[in-house]
Amino acid sequence: MSPEEEALVESACTAWRPRATDGRIRFHPAWHDLDAGGRREVFERTVQLRALEQALDSGGMSTTARAVLARITRRA
Amino acid sequence: MNDLDIHFGAIRAGDTDAFGQWVAGAESRLRLSLRTFAEDVDVESVVQETLLRVWQVAPRFVPDGRPDSLLRLAIRTARNLAVSEIRRRKPEAFDPAMLERSSRLEDITVPQVEADPMLREAILRCHDKLPTKQRSVLAARVESSGAEHDRDVAGRLGMTLNTFLQNFTRARRLLIECLRKLGIEPLAEVA
Repeated sequence: MSPEEEALVESACTAWRPRATDGRIRFHPAWHDLDAGGRREVFERTVQLRALEQALDSGGMSTTARAVLARITRRA
Repeated sequence: MNDLDIHFGAIRAGDTDAFGQWVAGAESRLRLSLRTFAEDVDVESVVQETLLRVWQVAPRFVPDGRPDSLLRLAIRTARNLAVSEIRRRKPEAFDPAMLERSSRLEDITVPQVEADPMLREAILRCHDKLPTKQRSVLAARVESSGAEHDRDVAGRLGMTLNTFLQNFTRARRLLIECLRKLGIEPLAEVA
């Protein structure tokens, strides 16, 4: 994997996602620039990362879970 | 594995803490159920959108009496979202078999994962061994909890985006190598 691809894959593994004007969660911009192999790598790497995050979090939550809960509690 | 529906009553009543506990137990299995879509959709986006929708429909959802009914609803919702995205983006690539894979709630198979009981302790031990810079980038992204683009997280640490990503890659690799030396895989799917 080239350094450019590696950076795209690592970028797309974050839980940050842009929002559409109607509030829907959009795809990560870096994900669009990846080929099929890069996208599979994003998936596998994210599975591992979220498990690591859950273990490091006192409440057992990943950054995905925290991002979703933040949206819900902002709405409530 | 425990039936996650134990949280359902509280979730239906609007308890966000209960929903958080349900998400903590459901997320990995929900994500793994989308592996076949990984080349066609950004699974992270689909997982987050699905969790928001599950929270919205939970007050009206009627469990079918079998274990993990809310998780099976989530998996079906996620597959439907993935299929919709594929149809919208690449109609020519749409495979009708995908619809079949997102059909009836009772037919949904929940992926099973095997969490090593020593995992948390091992991860903490390996995390403590990371060099300072790698530990700080890992902590910064975890603390941002998906609220910020990596460019902003990197800026807070006084790094360029590229340096931040290189350090993050190194941190992740060192953690995984350390865990493998201890004979632990962070998340193993049961065949």
